[in-house]
Amino acid sequence: MDTWVRVDALNGFVVAAIGLFFALTLVYSAGFMKGKQKNGQYYIYVILTAAASVLAVVSNNLLLLLVCWGFLGFTLYLLINMGDVDTGQTAKKTLIIVGGSDALMLFGIGLIYKITGSFQMDKINIPLTHHYLSLATIAYLCLAIACFAKAGAVPFHSWIPDCAKKAPIPVTAFLPASLDKLLGVYLLARISLNLFAMNGAMNILLMLIGAFTIISAVMMALIQHNMKKLLGYHAVSQVGYMVLGIGTGNPIGIAGGLFHMLNHAVYKTCLFFTAGNVEYRAHTAELDKLGGLAGLMPLTYIAAVIASLSISGVPPFNGFVSKWMVYQGLVQKVTMTPGHQVTSVVAVLCLAAALFGSALTLASFMKLIHAAFLGQAVSSQPKSGSLEVPAVMWFPAVLLAAVCVLFGVFAQAIPLKYFIMPAIPGVNFSGQWYATLSTALVIIGLILGALLFKLKAVKPVFRRDASYTGSETAALQYNETNRVTGTEFYNTIKEYGILKGIYKRAEAGFFDIYEQGKAFVFGIGRFFQYLHNGVLPTYLVWTLLGMIVLFFTLVK
Amino acid sequence: MNIIPLFVIIPLFSAFFISLTGRLFKKGFIDAISGVSCFLLLALSFYGLNALNHSANQAMVYKVGGWMPPFGICMVLDGLAGFMLITVNLVAFFVCIFSINYMEKYTDKPKFYTLFLLMVTGMNGLIISGDLFNLYVFLEVASIASYALVAFGTEAEELEASFKYAIMGSVASGFIFIGIAFLYGFTSTLNMADMSRILGASPSSWLVPFVSVLFLMGFGLKAALVPFHAWLPDAHPSAPASISAMLSGVLIKALGVYAMVRIFFNIIGISAGYLSALMFLGALSMIVAVILALSQWDLKRLLAYHSISQVGYVFLGIGLGTPLGILGGLFHLFNHSVFKSLLFLNSGAIDYSTGTRDLREMSGLKEKMPVTAGTSLIASMSIAGIPPFNGFFSKLIIIFACIQKGFYGYALAAALGSILTLASFMKVQKYAFLDELKEKYRNIKEVPPAMKFSMVCLAAICVLGGILLLPSFKFFLSGAAGVLLEGKEYAGIVLGAAAKP
Repeated sequence: MDTWVRVDALNGFVVAAIGLFFALTLVYSAGFMKGKQKNGQYYIYVILTAAASVLAVVSNNLLLLLVCWGFLGFTLYLLINMGDVDTGQTAKKTLIIVGGSDALMLFGIGLIYKITGSFQMDKINIPLTHHYLSLATIAYLCLAIACFAKAGAVPFHSWIPDCAKKAPIPVTAFLPASLDKLLGVYLLARISLNLFAMNGAMNILLMLIGAFTIISAVMMALIQHNMKKLLGYHAVSQVGYMVLGIGTGNPIGIAGGLFHMLNHAVYKTCLFFTAGNVEYRAHTAELDKLGGLAGLMPLTYIAAVIASLSISGVPPFNGFVSKWMVYQGLVQKVTMTPGHQVTSVVAVLCLAAALFGSALTLASFMKLIHAAFLGQAVSSQPKSGSLEVPAVMWFPAVLLAAVCVLFGVFAQAIPLKYFIMPAIPGVNFSGQWYATLSTALVIIGLILGALLFKLKAVKPVFRRDASYTGSETAALQYNETNRVTGTEFYNTIKEYGILKGIYKRAEAGFFDIYEQGKAFVFGIGRFFQYLHNGVLPTYLVWTLLGMIVLFFTLVK
Repeated sequence: MNIIPLFVIIPLFSAFFISLTGRLFKKGFIDAISGVSCFLLLALSFYGLNALNHSANQAMVYKVGGWMPPFGICMVLDGLAGFMLITVNLVAFFVCIFSINYMEKYTDKPKFYTLFLLMVTGMNGLIISGDLFNLYVFLEVASIASYALVAFGTEAEELEASFKYAIMGSVASGFIFIGIAFLYGFTSTLNMADMSRILGASPSSWLVPFVSVLFLMGFGLKAALVPFHAWLPDAHPSAPASISAMLSGVLIKALGVYAMVRIFFNIIGISAGYLSALMFLGALSMIVAVILALSQWDLKRLLAYHSISQVGYVFLGIGLGTPLGILGGLFHLFNHSVFKSLLFLNSGAIDYSTGTRDLREMSGLKEKMPVTAGTSLIASMSIAGIPPFNGFFSKLIIIFACIQKGFYGYALAAALGSILTLASFMKVQKYAFLDELKEKYRNIKEVPPAMKFSMVCLAAICVLGGILLLPSFKFFLSGAAGVLLEGKEYAGIVLGAAAKP
């Protein structure tokens, strides 16, 4: 019996998550989009997007999946165009990358049909070993590219930072930050677990892509000056952990990847909402022009801090648990596959990259928190009072921050037990992490620290003095000219030896598949244009030459 | 009463009437006559296909003057002809409505309608002709009308384009004529069914390959296959937008694709070598033209290059020769007619309001021209193959058909062509409709209602096109594909249908 839709443990929780983010986006939009033009269109597109996403996730038929998947690219295009500023270039680039990858997905699905004769996802299981090896590998790669483009793994990621900067915040929070991740990684898991039986080479490829995504995107995030673009690069970087987790091919790694997908959607949506709140009040998302908002927007600040710690993988928040599971997957990859030198080396390298990436993530979020919420405020900003946004806008952010805590502290008891474990059987922890106990210990540690801090004996003595530079004393009260922004410290990274050249090229679009593809196609185009010189005799010559060639080849 | 000759009589008579009396009546009357005759043609096309679908025969034959087929001239309406008639007359009807407002800016509306209806006569006649020489005559009627229409603006650029088009078109017609002459010399008959029968009974080893190449080149030029395409990017943009819509939307398909596949599949019988030649030329056109289209800044020229590319898809599908491939190719032919004519009408609407065709000159028109922007977005998504619009389904079928037959390279080329098409239409959308509105367009208005009506209807067909694949509507496509699949059985079917009273 052919069924069009099928709900199982793997896609059930994804549907639930889509529902949650859809509801929160609607609530947030009620505040953020209030009074904007074309509100009706906006809500229609959001609803269509949610409906198509759910259908894509529960679809059991590859053609239905393809139609919904492609339609989502179209709604994303429409939603980006709801932005106020010049969104044309961003929308164009986004749909070219996302929609273009769908054409490859179509090709891949055609190959799957050729191999199996079926579009039923539950009936397809192609081992990447038998005589269809090359076809099956191409089919897998085509589908994987569609997943990478949707989720935003390197090198198909370059639309996300642009989109984060230009599209309205709720749109970014809804699509690139949550729904597109859920869909892309869900499908990657689905094809890697069910549709294809993976082989070692594919696992290594996925792990390398994952590790490369983590490092390259977080390095770009470090140097950003725009809050939304910074978050956009992190939305790419975190995909690396998910791909890495799925690439390990062992249950704990895959479970970690999926859990990270869920966690990422939670904290990244929260971060985008807080960025939206900041922009809503400060009318800018440039970190250089922000500062000192912590006291004025306390709820937003708390939500942002929790989500930042969470994305950086600081215990006891949820990001830590899933990253820790991914690390375990990598460690198991090394220990469980003796004899596979290459696999072990790659796994160790990826583990190093993942750990290092996590540290850099923390660094860049310290930058964000410091520059936007602590730091020195611009002089036009009120010194005291409240700038807190309306309840419909802070509530979704605070709720998601609470989820971050909940999923971290009660990781085993709630999310892993109900969402992840049913989908991935056979998860085997190599060491137990008692999340609740550790949280208690962390809290005890913090209380002790606070007590010590309060004791007179160790109370530090602050001395504030005017800064003294060039044998002149600068004014103690700061003004616009000597205001220290939160981003300056990080500018030095760009000047650091070998990184300098890489950053320069990256900012010029050297590593952007879109720019490279464009240059390549236009290069060929120039040659063709040179041939089309508009001279009639030339055209007639081609026509006759073409006919002569046809005579030679066809008449024997 | 037999409706078949009406497909020629109605437009021919209207053209004649308008050219004689056009200046005596008010403009509205002329608009009404051409609108009504196009509407009648469209209604007759649906009626004809419906009648064919319910009749016992696979073809309906009209014998001119009552002479039996091998001796007299006949007109044949079968699944493929019915499909093409609907495609042609559907586009012609909406273009005619669009022209009511659009052609106001040109001086001589009666002449325009005369030429327009003559072109429709030529296409309809070519489609229902059962006689090879008549097919050639109607092909020339349509071609000559189109040469004149390309030059309709009579500016230097238009005259040059028309001149090039006329020269190259005549060369093609010449080769087609030589091919027909050879066939006539060998078979001593011009009736297509009879010719097919004779060629089947006494095959010739040298004649068929020789005339096949002549037809491949001749009809290939009419259909603008690379490397016979060079006239098209000049000719199609130069015509008034509504005529560009006709030329790109249906003329290249009726004169090129339809005539070629009818002769190859049903008369001389197609061999594997020619199928692979069709596929190769199709794939070549698909890729070369889309790369050229990407670097264009003239909106209509960009669209013209896409016509070459999309006809490549049609030939790739039909050239596979499998039921799925032919179905996909014909479905793409229909879809392309709809969305490409819509895109040309959009370009006409932009030209009407802003007076420019240069993408760099436009910006932010979405704000002032929402109907044009919306319909253009739908058409762009259709041609780029984004679901759920019609172009997606036909491309899907073509790519699947290629894979089914093991042509993975062609399938991948079709997918890559689709990405480049998407890229190029994203460029159109960005430069024409998105971003800031330019100061000089502060006061432009959306186009008049007749133009809106045509664009909205065509856009609706783009959105709903996918339903043609549902079982209850499938006869429209499968009937047409069936005619090509039946190959040389065509002779028996037509002669059999003619023998019945």
